[in-house]
Amino acid sequence: MSTPLDDNSELRYAEYVLGVLDADERAAVESEIASSEAAAAAVEVWRRRLLPLAEEIVPREPPAHIWPRIRSALQLDAPARESPGGALRSRENLRFWRWVSLATSAVAAACVVALILVTRHPAAPPPTYMAATLTQKDGRVGWTATVDLARARLIVVPAAPQSLAAGRAPELWLIAKGGKPVAVGMISANRPVILPLEAPLRSQMSSTAVLAVSVEPPGGSPTGQPTGAVIATGAIAGA
Amino acid sequence: MRPPADDRDALASLLSRTASRDQRAFAELYRRAGGRLYSVCLRMLRDRSEAEEALQEVFTTVWRRAESFDPARAGAMTWLTALTRNRAIDRLRQRRETLAQDPIDLDRMPDERSGPAADAEANEDYVRLRNCLETLESQQRDSVREAFFSGVTYKELAARRQVPLPTLKSWIRRGLIRLRECLES
Repeated sequence: MSTPLDDNSELRYAEYVLGVLDADERAAVESEIASSEAAAAAVEVWRRRLLPLAEEIVPREPPAHIWPRIRSALQLDAPARESPGGALRSRENLRFWRWVSLATSAVAAACVVALILVTRHPAAPPPTYMAATLTQKDGRVGWTATVDLARARLIVVPAAPQSLAAGRAPELWLIAKGGKPVAVGMISANRPVILPLEAPLRSQMSSTAVLAVSVEPPGGSPTGQPTGAVIATGAIAGA
Repeated sequence: MRPPADDRDALASLLSRTASRDQRAFAELYRRAGGRLYSVCLRMLRDRSEAEEALQEVFTTVWRRAESFDPARAGAMTWLTALTRNRAIDRLRQRRETLAQDPIDLDRMPDERSGPAADAEANEDYVRLRNCLETLESQQRDSVREAFFSGVTYKELAARRQVPLPTLKSWIRRGLIRLRECLES
């Protein structure tokens, strides 16, 4: 054997790619990947070695409703689909109107989101939430954002956002203290959106960070930094 | 159904075009890779609605992060598969308590391809990996395969196989070292 069994640093990358590490160990490797070029390269080598095994899984056609949801979440067809009812399926339509009635009070909406998440997943560990109220220049609340750390996602509910020009869409950014804006995802002016929070973003969600909304082309800023006007901001607070 | 070489190049080109906000390329990427990635989610999460949510997260992330794909560094399918497995594993870790009592024999799940018919279509990376897996002792091979397809932790694998944790770790680590030697030779 050319390498002894205790060659742990190398093997940890293999274990990470294979998927046997627990959540804390995975987070440790991920932060190594982010900070060390050598670690990133070693993980890449193990991916090339092991991931071809996925060939054995027979592809299955995803249900037809997934693609419209992806487009809608990214607002790729914002102008055509944003009219309520239009292309929305009946179930989503129902949900839309339920949200509209809830969103009349931003705070109530945020509470209900938390409630729904708790009741839907009774087996989940106790959730940890943070929230931000995104206020516009006129002082009105544009959106409320609820950070669901346990399920690694962010729920953004519109309250009374200002109207945007045609062909423009709101994008959410996270700004850590003293840091540059990091894109969180596209949100909507008229319906709630759930955005996944990956580990690097999740770790920056703290009470010293700020969320902001800028006006961007549909699909998001082409540069990775806000290109349009910032229309709403709010500090993150623990719940 | 591993795509042939020019198909793989096509995926890389679709990813690069997606990075420059080409919506048609993004749609084509979904059409070509969505089925495989959905299957990966289903296999690991074993829950249709969770797999659907995970696939949606994967593709919204692809749209937002496509510029971080570097064709010089990784193949497009490798990049997409890594992203998908990471999302699925994140979800699994959030519900790890319930899975520990779920001793489904993944090796008997019916959606694996095997046998000579698959060989004709399989790509060479996969064939080399499979041949190297064949050189492992059966306990090493079985536990590496189960780990890969289930995405569960060492601890859960040890519980499923009803062996002490150090034994299971040793099987997998020796298996990984052996695989590295075989693939590098």
